Amino acid sequence: MRLPWQKAETELEREIRYHLESLAAEYELQGLSRKEAEQQARKVFGGVESVKEECRDLRWWRWAADGVQDLRYGWRMIRKTPSISVAAVVSLALGIGATSAILTLAHTLLWSDLCVKAPQQLDEVLWISQDHAGGMVRSTSGSMYQDGALRVADFFSRAAIGAMQQRTAGKAQIAGHIGGELVSSSVNGKVSVVRLRGVTGNFFAVVGARQAAGRLLQHADDTPSSVPVLVVTHRFADRTWGSDSAAVGRTLRVNNTTYEIVGVLAAEFGGLIPGDTTDLYVPLEQTPALRQPDSFARQHGDSPTTWWIQVLARRAPATTQVELQRLLDTAFASSWTVPPTKVEATPHIRVQSAARGLGSIRHDLGNPMWMLLSLVALVLVVDCANIANLLLARAARRQKEVALRLSLGCSRGRLIRQFLTESLLLASIGAALSLPVAIAAGQLMTTLLGSQGAGMTLSMQPHLSTFLITGAIAIATAVLFGLYPAFRASQVQTVPALKEGSGSAGTRSRQLWAPAKMLVFGQTTLGVLLVASAILFTGKLMALVNQDTGFNRDHVLLFDVRPGEVGHEGEALRNFYFNAEQRLRDLPGVEAVGLAQTRPMRGGGSWTGVKGPGQARPSQTAEHRSNAGFLDSMSIPLAAGRAITPQEARGGLKVAVLSEDLARDMGLSPALGAHVTVEGGETYQVVGIARAARYHSMSETAPVLYLPFDYNSSSATFVVRTSIPPSDAFFAIQQVFQGLSRDLPLVDVYTMEQQISRTLQKERLFAWLCGSFGVLALVLCAVGLYGLMSNITERRTAEVGIRMALGASRQAVMKQVIGEGMLLVAGGVVVGLPAAWVVARFAIAEGFLAKEVAYSEPIALAAGVLLAASALAVLAPSVRAASVDPMRALREG
Amino acid sequence: MTQKKTDLLQGTLDLLVLKTLAQGPQHGYGIAQKILVMSREVLEVQQGSLYPALHRLEKKGMVSSEWKESEAGRMAKIYSLTKAGRQHLAQEMEQWQRYTSAINWVLEG
Repeated sequence: MRLPWQKAETELEREIRYHLESLAAEYELQGLSRKEAEQQARKVFGGVESVKEECRDLRWWRWAADGVQDLRYGWRMIRKTPSISVAAVVSLALGIGATSAILTLAHTLLWSDLCVKAPQQLDEVLWISQDHAGGMVRSTSGSMYQDGALRVADFFSRAAIGAMQQRTAGKAQIAGHIGGELVSSSVNGKVSVVRLRGVTGNFFAVVGARQAAGRLLQHADDTPSSVPVLVVTHRFADRTWGSDSAAVGRTLRVNNTTYEIVGVLAAEFGGLIPGDTTDLYVPLEQTPALRQPDSFARQHGDSPTTWWIQVLARRAPATTQVELQRLLDTAFASSWTVPPTKVEATPHIRVQSAARGLGSIRHDLGNPMWMLLSLVALVLVVDCANIANLLLARAARRQKEVALRLSLGCSRGRLIRQFLTESLLLASIGAALSLPVAIAAGQLMTTLLGSQGAGMTLSMQPHLSTFLITGAIAIATAVLFGLYPAFRASQVQTVPALKEGSGSAGTRSRQLWAPAKMLVFGQTTLGVLLVASAILFTGKLMALVNQDTGFNRDHVLLFDVRPGEVGHEGEALRNFYFNAEQRLRDLPGVEAVGLAQTRPMRGGGSWTGVKGPGQARPSQTAEHRSNAGFLDSMSIPLAAGRAITPQEARGGLKVAVLSEDLARDMGLSPALGAHVTVEGGETYQVVGIARAARYHSMSETAPVLYLPFDYNSSSATFVVRTSIPPSDAFFAIQQVFQGLSRDLPLVDVYTMEQQISRTLQKERLFAWLCGSFGVLALVLCAVGLYGLMSNITERRTAEVGIRMALGASRQAVMKQVIGEGMLLVAGGVVVGLPAAWVVARFAIAEGFLAKEVAYSEPIALAAGVLLAASALAVLAPSVRAASVDPMRALREG
Repeated sequence: MTQKKTDLLQGTLDLLVLKTLAQGPQHGYGIAQKILVMSREVLEVQQGSLYPALHRLEKKGMVSSEWKESEAGRMAKIYSLTKAGRQHLAQEMEQWQRYTSAINWVLEG
């Protein structure tokens, strides 16, 4: 099929030819020779091509026809300068892809609302106090963090929740929930460990979540005498049965209770916390913690001094946060049975929006996230500078071409559009390629965050809006800088440009380079910042990983068992532990067997206050219940005294070992033999002092109070020190437990090294991201410099040829090119060094960086790395310049 | 023999083309020659510039065109005046008359 513009084009051609031939025939009749006649005809007719252009301008499809032509032409030009085009496309793809992946992460963690009905009405209820609330609260379960001078906590007594519900009737709905503990659940005899959240009957009504199948929980489910039921997440149903509807009506065992699954939550509800891994929602009164007759919650859960439930509120549309806070404050105060000791210790209600989920993860990741985002912005700027630079270089090469087209009758508007089409084409290819980059980067981050059960499950689908934002920025840069040279070029004086050609470097072409030079300069400055932060944070991580922990982390295997949840009780439970300890100890290759109620290096622990004789204020410490072999299994040496003996541990005698730093903090002298009292009233005799060691995390020290292991505990962590590689010993260990209890899974089996790296997940993710930004910046800077210097040398081929013909040596030519490139970079580094220093000071002042971090060396190192990379980048163009053949350069130039 | 030639006043080419076509259908070359002859070879027209003018008039519906055999026996694109073109020509001519007489009054007055 002939397209309309092709037909019109041939007709125009024929029409004009007819005219010219008729004219020529006339002149021939007048006596001119054929050749003269044709020449005369052309002269009288005027510029054939410009007439054609004018006629084409009149066609309505002109725009589309030109577009197709522009595209075809653009593609040809892109292929003509492959190195620059590829560099620009790679810059675009990496820049857009990586930054949108980061923005997606930030969006998921920090900015996205929960997928529930009217999330703005949801509030998290917390309490704050300036000082320790003392006797008002005897036992707690929940989280507490320091916000400036204030303690912020999220746990309340049952009485407080009752009072709140009464007080806010009609103005808000109040629901309670208790936090995601891990439990063993079995479906058709297959045991797995899942996370369970206990919630009040009105919880889902308050949250505003929808079900995918069945029904959600109701008030009637939440009494001690109700039939045990539960609701599972879509993720759990999908994982276990493959569909939502298949799950409803089935049963599931947790500990010794069989629950009926009454409903499945809709897929869009990802939990209350960003990255929530909760699988099961159980009515509060039916949670494993409350079903056990002798459980703490059962015995003390109703006490007004046991604060253990987290509170969520949904305001009625007319109620403001301030009003809710006032109402809750009076209700809270009315529930106290013990009055506050002083004004500073009086708790007050703080209401904060839960529209985006509960706050703890944002509290943890908030600051680093903002830091990361600023790095993203910097990378994007470097990226844009790169694209601009490459496009400028491309356009500068084409001055001659532009001049030729202008003199052949191409209109300036058309020329600008041609450049626009080309930039858009380039940008679109880059943007299209950035999609797989973004997906890959997102998957990488999900893996890093979620690997080895780091406690986060995120869906990291590249977010369309973030993609559009970064894409728009990069494409806008491409278009802007694609057009800038077109505007410049369209002012080119055609005759001198044609004469000068591409060979010589006159004053004007030097000028044209100025913006490109500025870009490389600025890029290098930012490059120093980015590379320095990469070195700083990866260095910080390395230091954390390699620091002295106080215990020996080699050849240690950790795993959890939950015998109390598969039917072992009382004497059987105690015997299970005794036998396990003994049989493991007898295995060849096993040196020590530790048994602990809290897994070391878990990221958290059980905290309490302890007082020595005559001590006014209790010292805060981790309370660590462990068996006699624990210190040996960790290789934590004793500074004085002795460890707890097996007999003391099994007999539950009141003896304790203090960590050095705890003993120092308590000011005991002599420490050995002293009696210390733990919050709650039990008194222990100190028999030993252990050397200080990292306990719950690599980044913080904690004093530890070692107490005898409670052999009635339903679950425990084994710490096994081996003389052979732990993986070799694992099979034998599994055999031991098979022999003890058939259905008992060993949970979270890690070596100590793995356990440590899990606690550093956040730091690792952060260091990893900073590191990749640094590398990205380095690559972009090098590519930019390479592009610029290649172009400069290429344009100067003739000049180099002359110089070499006049006797300049190859070394001299190389030196000049390298010198010119490195001068730019050195300028950038000189500005970048103090800038990085200022930023580091700022980061320390704002608390992004710890005070003791040495930042001068990393900054200097970054400058060095950048200079080295730049030297590599200018090497290739300088070699190419030096290998110019003077004869050829002069002939062609 | 030197003859002084005059550049065409802007916008008057359309008028000349329409006027030429009013005498009968013609191809582009014929129009150019006719204008030259009728203006006693005083007017300097780059003959090529005729075509954008013709195409513009065609787009506006003042002229229509078809491919026909010319007097020389070759296929040529023949333009003819449409009804709208005829009306437009009448208006334009009237306007031109007024314009020139006004100029004349000033110059002679």
